Amino acid sequence: MTERLLNDQLVGQLKEVFTDLVNPVHVLYFGSREDCEYCPEIEQLLTEVVGVSELLSMETRDLEEHAELAETYRVDKAPGFVLLGKVGQNAQQNAGHTDENPAYEDYGVRFSGIPSGHEFSSLINDLVLVSRRDSGLNGQTREFLAKLEKPVHLQVFVTPT
Amino acid sequence: MLAHQMAMESPFIEAEMVEAMEFPELSNRFQVSGVPQTTINAGAGRLVGSAPEERLIAEIEKALENQG
Repeated sequence: MTERLLNDQLVGQLKEVFTDLVNPVHVLYFGSREDCEYCPEIEQLLTEVVGVSELLSMETRDLEEHAELAETYRVDKAPGFVLLGKVGQNAQQNAGHTDENPAYEDYGVRFSGIPSGHEFSSLINDLVLVSRRDSGLNGQTREFLAKLEKPVHLQVFVTPT
Repeated sequence: MLAHQMAMESPFIEAEMVEAMEFPELSNRFQVSGVPQTTINAGAGRLVGSAPEERLIAEIEKALENQG
């Protein structure tokens, strides 16, 4: 069995932060057996993080094997994952990725690669963000975004610090 | 992350945090030198460094105008 990535102290800190979780969040993770050095580590990391709170859940898929699902969520790189809002009490594991049973809300919050160092706290904060179902942006920004009618794809490049 | 907040607010926005070292080809394509770097619509706009909401909004506006 591999060693845990998160030590007791960190798990304790996460438990604290996750008291701010409001609504359930589902992590849809895509790994790949082809040329993905960090996949096993990130899968373990996400599993451990999600395990800290009952409001968090996770699903592991394969970029090649589940290509259609990856395309639906516009994930084209592994390791890649999206943070979804889990809605409704009847949302079942592995269910709800179709229009007939929309158990998951996609806000367009994506990650490519393993969030480490400073970026790890971004991941944690983003889990809380998605669980709040609210952007937290100021009024002026919300006004501008309400008028937005064209697609915008933001890619924020970061490195571990 | 600010970009993720924007994605939460608008259904038209998707925000992807990319680990630059793991995806060097993509980083090179967008000439990522300083981080964080925010690339807008595959290069229609870009913002290097951290910035407040107003600045990112301005860059998004500019990028959309550039695209026509």
